[in-house]
Amino acid sequence: MKNQVSQKNILNDDELWVELKAGNEKAFSILFKKYYNCLVQYANTLSPFSEKNQDCVQDVFTDVWIYRNSLSETVVVKAYLLSSVRKRIVRLQQRDKVFNRSKSVDDSVFLLDFSVEQQLISDELTANRAMKLNKVLNKLPARQKEALYLRYHNSLNIDEIAVILNVNYQSASNLLHRALVYIRKGWNGALLLLTMLLLK
Amino acid sequence: MKERNQYREVEDFLADESFCLWMRSQKNVDGWEEWTLEHPKRAKLVEEARLWLLAMKVPNDDLSQEEVGVALQNAWMEIEKRERESKMEIQLIQLWQTGWFRKIAAIFVIGLLSFYTYTKYFAAEQLYYDYSQIVKGLDEDGLLEQINNSNRPQIVTLSDGSSVLLQPKSKLSYPKIFTGNERKVFLSGEAFFEISKNPKKPFFVHANEIVTKVVGTSFRIKAYENQSDVEILVRTGKVKVNSEKGSSKSNQKEIVLLPNQALRFERKNQTFDKITDITIDKSLRNSVKSIEQLSFEFTDIPVAQIFKTIEQAYSVEIDFPKQEFEKCHLTTSLSDQPLPEKLKIICKSIGNNSSYTMNGNQITILSKGCN
Repeated sequence: MKNQVSQKNILNDDELWVELKAGNEKAFSILFKKYYNCLVQYANTLSPFSEKNQDCVQDVFTDVWIYRNSLSETVVVKAYLLSSVRKRIVRLQQRDKVFNRSKSVDDSVFLLDFSVEQQLISDELTANRAMKLNKVLNKLPARQKEALYLRYHNSLNIDEIAVILNVNYQSASNLLHRALVYIRKGWNGALLLLTMLLLK
Repeated sequence: MKERNQYREVEDFLADESFCLWMRSQKNVDGWEEWTLEHPKRAKLVEEARLWLLAMKVPNDDLSQEEVGVALQNAWMEIEKRERESKMEIQLIQLWQTGWFRKIAAIFVIGLLSFYTYTKYFAAEQLYYDYSQIVKGLDEDGLLEQINNSNRPQIVTLSDGSSVLLQPKSKLSYPKIFTGNERKVFLSGEAFFEISKNPKKPFFVHANEIVTKVVGTSFRIKAYENQSDVEILVRTGKVKVNSEKGSSKSNQKEIVLLPNQALRFERKNQTFDKITDITIDKSLRNSVKSIEQLSFEFTDIPVAQIFKTIEQAYSVEIDFPKQEFEKCHLTTSLSDQPLPEKLKIICKSIGNNSSYTMNGNQITILSKGCN
């Protein structure tokens, strides 16, 4: 375990990726352990079947190993894996749709609703404000929420988000921008209302 | 990445992993707290960013180390399985690429195809029961075969005393001796049957698709392989007719024919056409042979005349002592008898230990004259 941790520190994602492509099983295992959790969580935001989602993430890794020779050398590993998971889930959902088992739209819908970190809040004013902001956030269209999720929970840059959502850079950037403008507007309105109520 | 001193917007903070870590798990690795307190304006921004993070919680159901370990194991197992499969695929492809395997596969496919077409063709042909097919299948029973290649009718005498007048271009297969509970013969072409009576051993004639069952009677069957119809014409007695297929299926009714009734079987449609008045049917009327027109009802007729009638009817030659028989007259009815029976009755009527021998179509009567 310690050995692996130290290796993780020594090798960054890019180096591990190169090792994996060369057939290093250890590199594969390290990347698997590093990203499995994060990928399953992302999959869970796209599809409600958590068992299937785990299989799906495992299949993504399996494919990575089997087709390692034909993979690109220069990828952002995390973004590549997230994008693979997303593509796979969308594909499975489309297949289900063909067999009439699912009525979901052609593109995967971001299912997640953000919640409030109650545990970190001690005062009521902050709690109220966080709740208001949370309501505004959850009113966002699914795609904008997904962009926010990828940006602030997975620390991806706009380039990477664009790849994952299968849009160009400008679209991804607009998606995030529009989300932020909307939130600020909505939240300021809510704050105004709140202050008015408090002043009364 | 921007220096944190240049952060002007909430988004800048939200995108900072270190900041998020500080906010969410209160791990102040990079001295965020101290940095925030440096500047009141900063504090306001940080407070706002904090609020954003607080409102943007996602379920944090982290998987345990064990769960991740199991998942990794599963992935390796799946990889092994797929690698084995792809290896087999490669082996199959390599096998396919070797010439001989392809040749064998091609031969196999061709064989399968030809078998299919053969059985299909054969199944279609099975509509027509071929004499040679039937007889071939029964070869082991020790069948005798009489083929009439001449242009005159031939007489065939069977072991039970029945006689069959075989028309030209016809053949008859029959056992040397009838054994078992039935008598069975196979006909291709045309023949007039006179069957000796034996209710315990019914007589069956298989002709093309038709089975004719009789006990003792005379009738004619016309069943040429190259003709579309099978005809059965009854002279005396009772005849039951069935198709080869119908005989195996009990639900199909037999058709019963009485004297001077006929049956035409259309081989293509497997349909029966019963003709109750043979004088109306032109083709039947024209085909009536001399034997069927000749009367065997004799009233005080000279024996020589009777022998002449038989000679005509059966296309045989009868050698008899003409002088001894000059004054012999007989009254007898021989209509319903096969040829041997007819001869036997005549000899018996003449008396005086008269007898006959038969060798092909040559019949010799041994007698010292009538009483």
